[in-house]
Amino acid sequence: MAYLELSHINKEFAKAAAVNDFNLSAEQGEFVSFLGPSGCGKTTTLRMIAGFELPTSGKIQIDGKDLTFVPPNKRNVGMVFQSYALFPNMTVAGNIAYGLKVSGKPSAEIKQRVDEMLSLIHMDGFSGRYPSQISGGQQQRVALARALAIRPRVLLLDEPLSALDAKIRVELRQEIRRIQQQLGITTIYVTHDQEEALSISDRIVVMSEGRVEQIGSSSEIYNFPKTEFVANFVGQLNLLPVDVVNLTEGLVRVGGQMVRTSQSLDHMNGHAIRLAVRPEELNPGHREGENNLLGRVSTVTYLGPVVRVRLEVEDRLLTIDMFNERRLHVPMVGDSFEFSFHPDACWLL
Amino acid sequence: MKTKNHNFWALFWAVLGMLYFFVPLYGTFDFSLRMQKGVLSFLAYKAVLSDPLFLASFRYSATMGVITVVVSVLIFLPTVYWMYLRLPQARPVVEIISILPFIVPAIVYVFGLIRTFGHPPLDLTMTPLKTDILITVGYIILSMPYMYRAIDVGMRSIDVRNLTEAAQSLGSNWFQILFNVILPNMRIAVLSGALICFATVIGELVLGEFLVRPALGPYMVDVGRDQAYQPAAMAIMAWGLTWVCLALIQIFGRGNTSQQLTGR
Repeated sequence: MAYLELSHINKEFAKAAAVNDFNLSAEQGEFVSFLGPSGCGKTTTLRMIAGFELPTSGKIQIDGKDLTFVPPNKRNVGMVFQSYALFPNMTVAGNIAYGLKVSGKPSAEIKQRVDEMLSLIHMDGFSGRYPSQISGGQQQRVALARALAIRPRVLLLDEPLSALDAKIRVELRQEIRRIQQQLGITTIYVTHDQEEALSISDRIVVMSEGRVEQIGSSSEIYNFPKTEFVANFVGQLNLLPVDVVNLTEGLVRVGGQMVRTSQSLDHMNGHAIRLAVRPEELNPGHREGENNLLGRVSTVTYLGPVVRVRLEVEDRLLTIDMFNERRLHVPMVGDSFEFSFHPDACWLL
Repeated sequence: MKTKNHNFWALFWAVLGMLYFFVPLYGTFDFSLRMQKGVLSFLAYKAVLSDPLFLASFRYSATMGVITVVVSVLIFLPTVYWMYLRLPQARPVVEIISILPFIVPAIVYVFGLIRTFGHPPLDLTMTPLKTDILITVGYIILSMPYMYRAIDVGMRSIDVRNLTEAAQSLGSNWFQILFNVILPNMRIAVLSGALICFATVIGELVLGEFLVRPALGPYMVDVGRDQAYQPAAMAIMAWGLTWVCLALIQIFGRGNTSQQLTGR
């Protein structure tokens, strides 16, 4: 049995399903992210693990113990909130020490643990400051230290970086991952930011409308999405309706242009088929042995490191992302534009 | 030119407001010093402070005030907290209940209390102790709008739900959450409510008069009926006491204002 086991979890609010048959097994020390749009049930699931919500049905087990109906203050599960939720009347040290004081630990042990935690988050000189006297990023690090000080069985983070600016967000997510790996603590991280989830997780649970769409590593989720929702939600995706030419050879047609795929089409016989390909898999120019298509440039957008070109291909819009090199020849709107992609780069939905 | 004109009128209204407040106060103070003909003295203050009835009634009302404040905080703090946490939809109903003491006249209320609780089996008007219990409950109800509103404002200034859940996840029980996390972050709000609650009890007349208890309100009415300078001296002392209480709130609340603003 896995360290954290969620079995057939359902949650209804006023007869509306918020979480539907959620199953997850997480190993000790694993970093799992719940990724999905607002209202998909990821925070509700996290709150059920913390004990703030009770599941309508299903079972939550940590280290073999059934915690489904155990109150939150008896679970020994650390939680970090989006709004930090530091106690404004206590200093940084007081916040970190709070959980230890409540559990009746001796003062010498509390002091030692607080010092350890301050050192872990690189805030040794801040013990006497109040939350109002430190920045948002520092407050969130203190919130993390406070949650870790009680040595929880599982660490839960509910969109902890959403209230911070972009640069601090990137720094702090690396900090969270470093601390998690250093302590080897099982962690559940809720986010709607795909980049955040992809960059720090061992595994990602992609959710939509209360259901699990796919569970997998960052690479599996991004490169081999199992559903159209996952393919669309994680990264950019081009979807083009195609007609099947040859089932066994994986040959399809986009309007009047042929495309070869490396996928067998036998099981798709009779179904509406769409060709899926990521914008970064498309290359400008003609390449022998690959799929080569022709389109007309509709828009060109500079995004810093990437130039995004929108093309009209057989009355359909398609996006190409090109690395913004100095020697890059940027096409003009209205130009005819040839591009190519490898048969392995596309798949059919 | 327009700004200059604007500043003049702002100053004019401010000065007029201050005169409206301070001139009667000065008049009362001046009058309170003229007990001895032709000489300015604190004789009226001395007379009030040396009157054993004043001290007894002040001690009684102050004791009742402290008890009322403590019981009110113990009742309203957990109630408003629970409402914010679990029953936010009940807030409009509680708001209406909280202003009922403004709607029901005190005289109607006190007769209601006497008729309901002055008969067997409770007989709450039969002994001084029982009457004190009844009058305390009465004071709690009368000061409810002020205490409720002060706590309500304090609750609104902190993120009750997240602070509660953070404390829960760290192992706190409900008692620890309320007294270690919620109450310290509402210190100024509770102190403000306590001051208004205390002031209401100190100056209350109807309950003390009709329940026949030695409260300060009925004493002040009696003194005002029979004497001239002592009521003016008492008005100035009451005004001074209010400022002392406000200063105490500032002292005890100092250093925490900015912390309280970051609860959310």
